Amino acid sequence: MSNPDDSLSGIAVESHWFSGGLTIPFSTSPEHFSSDLLVDFSNSCACETLTYESMRVLPIQLSQTLPRTIGFAFPDSPQWTAPEPKISKTTPKILNADQELGDRESQDATDRDPISVEVEPRKTATRIRPPGDLVRLEDRLYYVLQPPLETIIQSAKLTFPLQPFPYQMEGIAFLFPRDAAILADEMGLGKTMQAITAIRMLLLSSELKNVLLICPKPLVTNWVREFRQWAPEIPVAVIEGDSAKRNWIWTNLQAPVKIANYELMMRDRDVFESNSLHFDLVVLDEAQRIKNRNSTTSEIVRSIPRTRSWALTGTPIENSVEDLVSIFEFLAPGYLRDDMQLKSLGKATRDYILRRTKDKVLTDMPPKLFRPAELELTGEQRASYKSAEEDGIFQLSEMGESVTIHHIFELVLRLKQICNFDPATGASAKLERLEADLEEVAASGQKAIIFSQWVSTLEVLGERLAKYNPLFYHGGVASNKRDGMIDQFKNNPKNKVILMSYGAGAVGLNLQFCHYVFLFDRWWNPAVEDQAINRAHRLGVKQPVTVTRMMSLETIEQRIHDVLEQKRELFNNLFAETGTPQNLGLSQKEIFGLFGLNVPKYLPKAA
Amino acid sequence: MKAGMEANIHNKTTSIGFVTVRHHPAHGYFGGYLIVNNLARPLEFHCTLPVQPTRAQQILYGSTLGEFVCGEQIARALVAKAKGTPQVLLSDTLAVLTLRHMQSIPIATIDFPLEINGFLSRPECQRENYHRFEAFGKHFAILPEFADDSEVIQGLFDSDIPPLDLIEPFGRIEEALMEANPATKAA
Repeated sequence: MSNPDDSLSGIAVESHWFSGGLTIPFSTSPEHFSSDLLVDFSNSCACETLTYESMRVLPIQLSQTLPRTIGFAFPDSPQWTAPEPKISKTTPKILNADQELGDRESQDATDRDPISVEVEPRKTATRIRPPGDLVRLEDRLYYVLQPPLETIIQSAKLTFPLQPFPYQMEGIAFLFPRDAAILADEMGLGKTMQAITAIRMLLLSSELKNVLLICPKPLVTNWVREFRQWAPEIPVAVIEGDSAKRNWIWTNLQAPVKIANYELMMRDRDVFESNSLHFDLVVLDEAQRIKNRNSTTSEIVRSIPRTRSWALTGTPIENSVEDLVSIFEFLAPGYLRDDMQLKSLGKATRDYILRRTKDKVLTDMPPKLFRPAELELTGEQRASYKSAEEDGIFQLSEMGESVTIHHIFELVLRLKQICNFDPATGASAKLERLEADLEEVAASGQKAIIFSQWVSTLEVLGERLAKYNPLFYHGGVASNKRDGMIDQFKNNPKNKVILMSYGAGAVGLNLQFCHYVFLFDRWWNPAVEDQAINRAHRLGVKQPVTVTRMMSLETIEQRIHDVLEQKRELFNNLFAETGTPQNLGLSQKEIFGLFGLNVPKYLPKAA
Repeated sequence: MKAGMEANIHNKTTSIGFVTVRHHPAHGYFGGYLIVNNLARPLEFHCTLPVQPTRAQQILYGSTLGEFVCGEQIARALVAKAKGTPQVLLSDTLAVLTLRHMQSIPIATIDFPLEINGFLSRPECQRENYHRFEAFGKHFAILPEFADDSEVIQGLFDSDIPPLDLIEPFGRIEEALMEANPATKAA
């Protein structure tokens, strides 16, 4: 609050009051005036008979002080650099050590000119808001005073291959100012594009100089391709090759964006321990990979010297809130605790996490149609199942206190495999249903993705579904063949089916041309299943995606299904910040409870 | 980073100053001044602490109090504090126009409806005689004694600036004022 004295004294006018016209002020007691009013009342009297001679001149002297101000200049930023059109045509320049040493101008043979579109003007401008953890007023005003994102993009002459959706602009504006952030959009909403565009803008505005992006190995080529599309002028280097080559890329290659995979980080940990590297930004794709904070991967990732930390994941919680706490150990160590109540956890993370779901932001996107296929086992399967379950439970009971979760899992897996195929005869209620459904899918000229957790199951399915020329996409397929396989599935009309393992096919793939997804068996948590489904149900999908979840009734699958639904509830509860869920995952009690067993006393209670 | 990426693409020196004053029923007047370049990027920002006219000022200035506080006090202080000198000053507050008597930069107001934002309102101004003109689909007003400024303003924008959004920066200033003075968000 300004001092009224200042304001008063700021009047740079010498005033002369004449009592003839201003009797009311003079009849007012002097204490009602500011003490700074330099009026001499000592000899004045309201009832005095005034004559011209007796009039007194009352000077009001006010100083010339102006109101106090605060402010700052933007001396060096943002220094925006528009992409050079010439480079745009020949980009992306995918650098690796060989290219850097040899022909730096050589291009990837698959380079293609991106179709450029300018961002359309919008009625509602997307503003960059300062993050909540920014304390200094000057820092906050720096972001408040930036023009809308659309203005920045237009004036910087940035073009995109596709017109970004408004929610994507919001995502970019969310990431742009943040040192710590989780972009947790549902799969298929374009986290990759949002992250790349935010990185692009930060690089072009010179707020970043070097970025490290870490993703699962199979997704490296996908990221390279996406950078080529969305940031064609940004040179990208892939960390690859033998140890010496990688070391050279880490330490010498001057590319603003480096892409590494999690597996490599294990081998290259010495690079970071030397402390010679520092990144302005480290981005973790599929950040659920560090949900176990005690894992080596998590430790290495956390040790990377960096200024900003972003995590991209569609599933910040796969099993329990500890997953989220672990990701925060990368973003802001110590900020969250495992024992925090769900409500306070939601409040604490609100400013750090941006999560949108398709049903909220893509109201015109074709829907996902879930079609539960709850099947009775065939007679052969039922007999085998009953026998295996009874034997298994008997053995577990015999083991008494020495039984472990490992033993339980073994039995679960054995029973689940019987739910897929009868081990003796190969009979399968699921396959019968699948074959019938695929007839219809193929007849309508459509294609289908079939997920299983076992490669052996995929192989059996491959034999039985040979007439659909199925392709196999699983961990055993070399990564350099995977892109070609996806292209083949997309373009070859003979390949009606692709068989995928959850592990290899659940993340990062764009299969929106495929409108049928079959979950032949169920994964342990719904988040992975959702990821698998969203390979097909993602941006660009033209038709509804039909998801058939296969489940054998009155089996272990049904019991697991009930637990999965509880997990789904947990996830929804956290992001809705409502109440506390009843169960936080597959606890020991629940695992043992699948077979009506009690948790042995020697085991700790927590799962 | 490539050398070209670090270069500054802005070789144009045009800058515009956006100055605004808002009134809060409890805290008084708040002024904000944002200088942007030809791409709408911020170059400089200044704002005042809240200004509460005294009783004496109210008596002395009467119906011209708004012009005195907004133009001769707040806007004057803000423009004086800035290091940069824009080619033109734009405001959304008529009462600010009296600043023109005290400095040489052309100043005009743009007429647009103000969105209700918290408890801040646009200060009232009793004066009615303005020189008004229309350009770029917007209605401008300047002091009649500086009518020639209209040519300067139109000439500048015709030659250099559009398609700069001339309304949007006022929203930024208002948000900045509320950020700098959180008390303005409440009554």
